[in-house]
Amino acid sequence: MRDKTHNEQIERWAIYVKENPNEWKKKVKPFIDSQFIKSREFYKRLLKTKGGEDKLRRIRNLN
Amino acid sequence: MKREISDRTILDEFTEDFCKIVEDHCKYIICSGFVAIAHGRTRGTEDIDMITEKLNSERFQKLHQDLINTGFICIQSNDPEGIYQDYLIKGDSIRYVRNEEGFFPPEMELKFVKDELDEEQLIERVKLPLTHLDIYFASIESNIAFKEEYLKSEKDLEDARHLRIIYEEEIDENKIKEIKEKIKGMRL
Repeated sequence: MRDKTHNEQIERWAIYVKENPNEWKKKVKPFIDSQFIKSREFYKRLLKTKGGEDKLRRIRNLN
Repeated sequence: MKREISDRTILDEFTEDFCKIVEDHCKYIICSGFVAIAHGRTRGTEDIDMITEKLNSERFQKLHQDLINTGFICIQSNDPEGIYQDYLIKGDSIRYVRNEEGFFPPEMELKFVKDELDEEQLIERVKLPLTHLDIYFASIESNIAFKEEYLKSEKDLEDARHLRIIYEEEIDENKIKEIKEKIKGMRL
């Protein structure tokens, strides 16, 4: 279970989003994008390793 | 709706591009985690949940072909009839990604409506200007009800809290209660 300060941060951020409808997305874009950019970079490196393709298929639950 | 292309995240672009194709073929909604993320929740996700109206095989094959033609690929199979019979018609979801080596995320998890609850979500679908996205979502009340009554993980409860704060003046609590009752009767 997360603690009080975590819940406070959720509330603080939700209020910011609500009060700054044209600003909040600029702030989250780098965070959201970085997850996919880093993930893709890693998977591409994994594909080049021995057995990497098989590992990727298992990680991604591919047939 | 104030809209700046530079604000669009990788998730936004993927979702809008996909929805634009689906919209030409059938009614759909985006629901669950991406609804909260599109409202600023700063958390990760690899998949976006989409529910569409139930299509017959012929209509699905046309949709599938359109998705393929615009650069998406289905992880499960390249055979639309197989996808339809082995997954969709049995109530299972299928997943599409951008067509590139490795089937990298994000991915769209697509499934057909399965009951009255899903049908109602489709009927009451909405666009939500605060997201800056031109796509249809399940209503905020529906998303909150499913997260609080059905999904219930810590992440889902936090998503629901986030949405409750953002829409606190507009939320119809009676509607949430009504949906929760239906969830109890039909899903639990």
